[in-house]
Amino acid sequence: MTAISPPSTPAVPGTPPQSPPPPPSSRRSRLRGWNSTGVTRLRREGAIAPIAAFVVFFVVYVIINPELLTRFQLQTASNLVVPLALVALGQLVVVLVGGIDISIGAIMSLCNVVFATQLLTLPVPVAILLAVLVGLGCGLFNGFLVAYAGLPAIAVTLASAFIFGSLAREVLDRPGGGVTKEIYLATSGELLPFVPVALVWLAAIAVGLWLLLQRTALGRHIYGVGSNMESVRAAGINARLTKLLAFGLAGVLTSFGAMMLASSTVTGDPRSGDPYLLSSIAAVALAGAAFTGGRGSIIGTILAACTLGLIGNLLFFAGVNSYWQYVISALIIVAVVGLPVVWRRVAFRVKGIRS
Amino acid sequence: MTDSGTPLLVATDLVKSYGPVKAVQGVTFHCNPGEVLALVGENGAGKSTVAKMLAGAVTPTSGSIIVGGEPLASGSVKQSRLSGVRCAFQELALVPDWTVAENLSLPDGAPLRGFSQKRSMAAASALLTAFDLPHIDPRAAVGTLSLADRQLVEIARALAGEPRLLILDEASSALTPPGVQWLFTRIRELTAAGGSVIYVSHRLGEIAEIADRGTVLRDGQVAGEFVRGGWTDDELISLMAGREAERFFPDPPERATDAVALSVTELRSEGLDGVSLTLGAGEILGIGGLQGHGQAELLRALFGAAPAAAEEWTVAGRRIKTTTPVRSVRHGLGYVPEDRKREGLALEMSVGENLLAPWLKGYQLGGRPRLAMERGWIDGILSALSVRTRGSNELAGSLSGGNQQKLVFGRWMDRSRTVILLHDPTRGIDVRAKQELYGAIVDLAKQGVGILWFSTEVEELVHVCHRVIVLYQGTVADELTGSRLTADAIVGAAVGSTGSITLTTD
Repeated sequence: MTAISPPSTPAVPGTPPQSPPPPPSSRRSRLRGWNSTGVTRLRREGAIAPIAAFVVFFVVYVIINPELLTRFQLQTASNLVVPLALVALGQLVVVLVGGIDISIGAIMSLCNVVFATQLLTLPVPVAILLAVLVGLGCGLFNGFLVAYAGLPAIAVTLASAFIFGSLAREVLDRPGGGVTKEIYLATSGELLPFVPVALVWLAAIAVGLWLLLQRTALGRHIYGVGSNMESVRAAGINARLTKLLAFGLAGVLTSFGAMMLASSTVTGDPRSGDPYLLSSIAAVALAGAAFTGGRGSIIGTILAACTLGLIGNLLFFAGVNSYWQYVISALIIVAVVGLPVVWRRVAFRVKGIRS
Repeated sequence: MTDSGTPLLVATDLVKSYGPVKAVQGVTFHCNPGEVLALVGENGAGKSTVAKMLAGAVTPTSGSIIVGGEPLASGSVKQSRLSGVRCAFQELALVPDWTVAENLSLPDGAPLRGFSQKRSMAAASALLTAFDLPHIDPRAAVGTLSLADRQLVEIARALAGEPRLLILDEASSALTPPGVQWLFTRIRELTAAGGSVIYVSHRLGEIAEIADRGTVLRDGQVAGEFVRGGWTDDELISLMAGREAERFFPDPPERATDAVALSVTELRSEGLDGVSLTLGAGEILGIGGLQGHGQAELLRALFGAAPAAAEEWTVAGRRIKTTTPVRSVRHGLGYVPEDRKREGLALEMSVGENLLAPWLKGYQLGGRPRLAMERGWIDGILSALSVRTRGSNELAGSLSGGNQQKLVFGRWMDRSRTVILLHDPTRGIDVRAKQELYGAIVDLAKQGVGILWFSTEVEELVHVCHRVIVLYQGTVADELTGSRLTADAIVGAAVGSTGSITLTTD
């Protein structure tokens, strides 16, 4: 027997890579340098479609209702979408590590009522701190069971959703609490004319999250764990700790959303988080994130949340029955998620015929 | 190299059991500083498990590993890395969604340390230049690279840690001859600086060139040891395989007719750039070539598992425009996919149900009544392939790899197939199971079934096939028959050269 080796692939110095040619974007990035690495990243994270969808949506919205660009409407619209955007970011972080958080609505309710009730007796910073800690605790609880006990995220968070939901009702059984006008102004008023404070807070948190995900090793680990858990482990990275921290981070982001909601509505409500569960998942789906993990962008998620959050308003101004809101949301999600797939098929057909 | 001085690595009596299965049972060896130690053995001999224990990816059930005089804290890749042990794994430990630069630099960072794309990009460029890999773009996502490039990145990452002990676990499996030479240059640089290398492989040519000493593993035990120059291919093969495991290839059967079972011209698909081939009834047509040159895509396209289009495409005289797996089965095709666990079997279902899988229609009976009806056929297949199972109700997942592969193959037997597409059916199964599969393949050909067989074992193609086509970059590079059908010719065509290349160096 001659020592013929099993097959291998050539791609040694000098040999051109054989299978798929490098995507055009990488060639472009070499030409344009730093700036387009960002575009490449957005493309890879699936953010192009939701960004385009938001731009189209925004233009349609302004055409139907130019009043959006007045100070009052801008402020109301921001207060409407910012809590959803924050919760969706929390959901995104969990989805990035390959999980899903069914308890995110309940965490939101719990943080919401903790924040609102503690304001009655405690100074504001302490109440904020408490709400954040509650969010962190809930997230770590989920994360521990998922990462260290090895339970499926969907089961763990479904169970914890009931627990957190009950706790929220225990803390405050009907809408109330001590949110004051000052707090409303600090979170939901206007910083400058045409600059709602809520958007400023969202921007600050998003930039912070972006720095964490893109500019720390932990952030890149979060993407890596979702992309390929086994590889990350084999490379000597603590994959479990990364998962745990991702769930904790999601809890913190959710608590921010809960406080923004409590402040803009000037009440604590033990059921306030419920509608945010499905919306947050929908926003992450619309953002083009991979539910198997490893792919998803912050900007895409925020814009997806804005799109979904404003559909109800748009239909109101367009004079359409608001029950259609869900149908329209569904159509937008299917269109945005489905178009790239259809596009790939069509491209293959066209290519196949041409060659 | 001499045996003087204290060894860098001493592994004593390593045992690893997975439940009742002992993957490694009492392996002892050592490795001196500046030495290349080869770890050889057949598939399933325990090489990879030993390598993983050294790398910290697998915790030994018992036994000790001492590196540089200190016991290795086992069970943690990180601990192993801190002790200066780095490993390039066979199954790549790279994250596909990360860029090359991220893959190179991220595992070293503490979680909360800052991470700069720009700095890691610069570091990666410097590293790739230093290691003479200028063609790899540090900005590219690893998932978009070819398998060989990924392997080069993985090796570069292990080398970047300036390890005292470098473990290469089949790290050359996807490399071309020049890539292997690149690797050997790096190994020599490392050993010259006093580092040691454990080279896990079953490519004897490479071992002859690079290894100072070697340990042969068989069935999880040390079967023998050898030193540079003191062995021949035949000795090593018999050590690896054991006495009784002489390989025997059946000859392809005489063809009864000239009828055409499958013909396709200019087939195009993802990774296929116009492939034309004809397969006669009763013919065994081998597909050769290096992995990633379109073999998997060809089989998938022909079965309709991937979108494809061709100028002319017929199966048993029936014209085909596009196809799907369901239609392909109706047209008389059968397909044995690459990964039996992921694509071939429903592991949580019974042996009988797995055999029947392609033949179950939604409106028919299933479960036990159906199994009882088909008992004759099922038992016939199980005994014809000598599948070692406790019966047709046993779960497919509890069978050994070779017997699982027989199930994936057996479901197409005695079902009046025209063409059967085989994707490396003998990979990772023991010699006896291989022998039984060869017999079954030849029997099918005798019955007039056309066999399209992609194999990564060149010897199989040479001995069992009537004809072999070699794919290179998605097209047919060469067609070999008769006296031209030799191992050297297949490998030569596979690397795109016109002359023949032999990898043996002695």
